[in-house]
Amino acid sequence: MTHGQVTRRQFLAGTTVAVGALALGRPAHAKGSVTAAMYPGTWEEAFRMHVAPALKSAHDVDLEMTPLFAVDQIAKAQAARGAPPFDAFVLDPGPRVTGIDRGLYEKFDAKRLTNLGRLSAGMTDEWGVTIAAQVVGIGYNPKKLPKPKAWTDLLKDPWVSRLGMTGFQTTYGTVSIIEIAKQYGGSETNVEPFFTEIKKVLSKVAAIGAPASMPALFQQGQCDITYTNTQTVATLRGRGVDIEFVKPESGAVSFYTTMHVAKGSKEIENAYKYFDTVISAPVQTALMQPPNNFIPVNREVKLARDLPMQSLDEMAKFVHHDWAKINPLRAGWIERFNKEVAK
Amino acid sequence: MTTATAEIAAPAARRWSAALRPAEWQLVLPLALAYAAFFLVPLVLLILVSFFDDEKITTMGGAQWTKFLGDRFTWKVIADTLKLGVFTVAATSLIGVPVALVYLGASARWQGVILFVVILPLLTSVVVRTFAWIVILGREGVINQTVLWLGLSPAPLRLLQTEHGLVIALTQIEMPLLLLPLLSVMSRMDPNLRDASSALGASKWRTLFRVTLPLSLPGLVAGCMLVFASSTTAFISQLVIGGNRLVYLPLLIWQQSLVVYNWPLASAAALTLLVSVGLGVAAIAAVGRRGHAWALR
Repeated sequence: MTHGQVTRRQFLAGTTVAVGALALGRPAHAKGSVTAAMYPGTWEEAFRMHVAPALKSAHDVDLEMTPLFAVDQIAKAQAARGAPPFDAFVLDPGPRVTGIDRGLYEKFDAKRLTNLGRLSAGMTDEWGVTIAAQVVGIGYNPKKLPKPKAWTDLLKDPWVSRLGMTGFQTTYGTVSIIEIAKQYGGSETNVEPFFTEIKKVLSKVAAIGAPASMPALFQQGQCDITYTNTQTVATLRGRGVDIEFVKPESGAVSFYTTMHVAKGSKEIENAYKYFDTVISAPVQTALMQPPNNFIPVNREVKLARDLPMQSLDEMAKFVHHDWAKINPLRAGWIERFNKEVAK
Repeated sequence: MTTATAEIAAPAARRWSAALRPAEWQLVLPLALAYAAFFLVPLVLLILVSFFDDEKITTMGGAQWTKFLGDRFTWKVIADTLKLGVFTVAATSLIGVPVALVYLGASARWQGVILFVVILPLLTSVVVRTFAWIVILGREGVINQTVLWLGLSPAPLRLLQTEHGLVIALTQIEMPLLLLPLLSVMSRMDPNLRDASSALGASKWRTLFRVTLPLSLPGLVAGCMLVFASSTTAFISQLVIGGNRLVYLPLLIWQQSLVVYNWPLASAAALTLLVSVGLGVAAIAAVGRRGHAWALR
């Protein structure tokens, strides 16, 4: 053997030792992982803080999150055609129905959830499990405006000139507009009265903006009243913004956020473990605390005092909507909204 | 016979070997392949998808195009989108050209400082810059507080969610795109030409209009094309600063593709944006060529 030269045999031996050492040195590996689509912002932070560690300690499963809004999840899953970029969806009712319609979920077996008995009846179905509730009403700045009572107040003085609106592109925007329309004689499938009324006051409305920019517009005083959910109100209040939540006389709207297994997922087992962790009492309790402000669905969770209900049974009293009826009309409403409000 | 074949074959073989020899065009092969895979193929797909009648992409036909282009509202949106581009180009040019002239006359050290200031906005994300404009243009923002403090207006001005507010913000956001090509052309300009113009008795203004500006026109045209293409497609800025009352083509594309999942209609809208912005850019190039020819006559 000569110095400075390495024979093929030495090279192979050296490589084997090096690779072997690397393999031995690898840390103990988790039982796997699950990739979950997650709403960006509050939800993502809360899940990173509470769900990921709980899932790791209970099932030794790593939670990886892809930040996506509900509509983006449906678009991505549809574009992926059976090879989903994530294993679990988190969705509002509108996109949920679209996903069922387009065959984007695996069939759901609720019996695989150990926490099933702790949920109220009807919180699971053949497509997924409900993991949180949302309550939509009016958020206003009590230092700038008197307290509004009804949905119709939004279109009256002094509120209308400080009103910040969004269109039909979000769930909370859609249900709020439906409720306004109902007060003027409309229904879940007829928002025509809303368009008639908004036309009369359009020039006074303070802001008609993108949903993502609404909290910033409220914080900057561009608008002082808007339709929104309790979670956004609590989050803004946590940042020192003057905002109060009001349940309109005709009732606040409630809808559920659900989770689903993506069709073609390779981590179905871990997805169920993930859902089970999310609906477990300790995680639901943690998610309910500020700054997360989720509305829990697990009956064992003692509700926080500032939630818009004393018990989860009251949820039945809130206004609910049938998204199977709303979805086919939504495209038309969006087009109509564009045309009516465009300058 | 054999000789004849060989004689015919020889030049052909030479041509082939010349074509296969590593040549300059092969250097662009990686980029060309990437373009083909990630731009041309998706573009063809986009065109194909736009010719489906239903949202689930099963029946072919031209119904979405008829619906989209048959709607008067679409034409208003196209016109508004192009108008936004023209306004932004005008505003960036009005502010950018004087800055470029200052750059031209500055010492090397100050040129470095100006260049740094020009590039500075590019160092922050467009999302951050856009949200910062909410703080500046808002009812309780910096501009309104100043206006109220100076007593120029009894009530806060409405700047957010207006076209002029959006143009103001886009002017700042797009400014580097105008200035970088302009400064690059100006810095290559031979200073002797301007000196010669003065020595021959031309006034400063005459030198500016007959020498400096015509020579920097290619840079200005390139900058204007970039600003036009970028501002007409600036979805985030249009949506966050303009709000939903100002409807531009990118908003329509987003709504159709991500909210109602009507991809054929979204594709038709996307192709319309591509063509109308392309025509706008071509128009700027044509105006630039004519202007250049006119100025140098």
